Amino acid sequence: MFQSLINVAAKRLAGAVPTVLLLSMVVFFVLRALPADPLALLLPPNATPADAEVVRKALGLDRSIVVQYLIWLRDALSGDLGNSIAYREPVTRLLANSLPATLELSFIGLAFALLISIPGGLLLYGTRGTIIENILDVLVVCMLSIPSFLWAIFLLLGFGVMLGWLPFSGRVDPGIVIPDGTGFLLIDYIVALQWGYWQNALSHLVLPAMALALGFSPLVIRVLRSSLLEASEDHYVTVARQRGLNERQIILSHMLRNSALPTITLIGAQFGFLFGGTLLVETIFSYPGIGNLMVQAVRNHDLPLIQGIALVFCITTLAINTLVDILYVVLNPKLRRA
Amino acid sequence: MSYSIPSSGALETARPPSALTEALRHSVRSPRVVIGGTIVIAMVICAVFAPQIAPNDPANQDLLNMLLPPMWAEGGSADYPFGTDSLGRCILSQMIYGARVALFVGFVAAIGATLLGTSLALFAGYFGGWIDRAISHLVDLWMSLPPVVLSVTLMVGFGTGVGNVILAIVLVDWTRFCRVVRSEVMVVARKDFVAAAKLLGFGHLRIILREILPSVTPLIITLFTLQVGIGIIVEAILSFVGLSVPADVPAWGQMIAQARNYMYQAPWGIVLPVLAMIVTVLGFNLLGEGLRVALDPRLRRRSI
Repeated sequence: MFQSLINVAAKRLAGAVPTVLLLSMVVFFVLRALPADPLALLLPPNATPADAEVVRKALGLDRSIVVQYLIWLRDALSGDLGNSIAYREPVTRLLANSLPATLELSFIGLAFALLISIPGGLLLYGTRGTIIENILDVLVVCMLSIPSFLWAIFLLLGFGVMLGWLPFSGRVDPGIVIPDGTGFLLIDYIVALQWGYWQNALSHLVLPAMALALGFSPLVIRVLRSSLLEASEDHYVTVARQRGLNERQIILSHMLRNSALPTITLIGAQFGFLFGGTLLVETIFSYPGIGNLMVQAVRNHDLPLIQGIALVFCITTLAINTLVDILYVVLNPKLRRA
Repeated sequence: MSYSIPSSGALETARPPSALTEALRHSVRSPRVVIGGTIVIAMVICAVFAPQIAPNDPANQDLLNMLLPPMWAEGGSADYPFGTDSLGRCILSQMIYGARVALFVGFVAAIGATLLGTSLALFAGYFGGWIDRAISHLVDLWMSLPPVVLSVTLMVGFGTGVGNVILAIVLVDWTRFCRVVRSEVMVVARKDFVAAAKLLGFGHLRIILREILPSVTPLIITLFTLQVGIGIIVEAILSFVGLSVPADVPAWGQMIAQARNYMYQAPWGIVLPVLAMIVTVLGFNLLGEGLRVALDPRLRRRSI
């Protein structure tokens, strides 16, 4: 089993390298199509054309675009993504500070999505053929029509502003020290044994993570329902019924496990959807992650930062896809033996 | 293509002639198609007749009446049924005019994504081999970037404006069509009537357009309808980030972004355009879901 895991991981990683390269080219060349001159943002308004030429040379902007890309790639491989124009800091440092926040939010969001969709899918399956299924199905279509950033607005207004139950800005209350560590606050505060801060960080995650989860879960509910329907016609279910197991046992201990595979595949393939949702959800909740950073960078026309964040989004999504593939092998005995 | 066989009409009649009427009959009986269709038609009417329907000029700033609540709330005015925004502009009128941008972008982008995605899917599914592998690889590559990130990056490169929003949506969402339609084309391409058409010596283009395309049309109609809803959402996201229409053009995403700054004093300013968007997208989703069942004889039988 271990060997096949390594094989899958190696195969996926080998496939991911050209993908990252190609996507980095797409991002690089698309951003070079920008009608605005990047120099205009860098130079003071009273700069002379001669000054402009000096800066242009220094930045390598006088060379051909292919050479520019190769220079950028060489720097990127050595861990240098350039400097942010607006923040005047290395892009990699900005990314290192905000990526853990986004990952933490996405994982909690995914966990919430599962907490909603597994009971949801089971409920839809359990009520199949009844009028309740029809009503629930319309509810799912309604959920499908509400993207996560609109959920974010509703949750913020309802639970944050009107009811005042949960905080809706930032990662922790102002004044709480963010510790040096992994950057994942839920881990760092446990390591530091600061329970109060840990709860504070968690309470800040609830609303944005719920917004991501509500936008994502209708997709998961649907796949789970259809794979449960498919499983219900399989032989092992008939056999289990003939053995006299009750329906609840069959669903929980047999069908759910088999339906997990297509569901996991969907989560892997659609993770980018949830992950991309962080752009607006983080902005709405003033959450300091890379999604929020991307929106700020776009508003500031901060090209090096936009480029770096797009690349990180792409690499992270690919990494999650690879993880899901490995999980798939772990869970699927057929693939394990092969 | 150079063959012209007079008996091609015989092949057409070999197909069940009542498929279209059958589908129409089922569509009209499906509550989803009826409700979704009604919402969509109502929104299209709003968009087309915006100048006639809107109570006020959406750009008109009534600076004496800023952040007015809706007329049913205390302090509301019948002149502004849904209240006013931070510049004293009529929210209802902006919402009605906002339907224009939303539907225009939604429809045109969906047409573009359908044309691009479907043509590549037809080639990939029909010819197979290296064409299929190349197109499928491209789809996989494209889908490995989060769609929102890709569209924002494209918009930064292209610059703002409605035309570029449409282009960005087409370039992001064609993959959805390509992937789904391709697998359906591969199934249809193995059917007997396609083999018959090949034996009759029809050209590839003719087989693709006359034999395969009609078989996948129901799927394309469904995907198209759902795509309009997706396009409306993406336009709102890009407006929200400030990458779509100029600030003086009324658009739902723009209204949401501007009202966000005042949402503690005036929550209706953000809730109302959000609801307009959700209802519209829901209309397209209900219509698409309903058509999926109504146009597919297999699903139709199961649902009865």
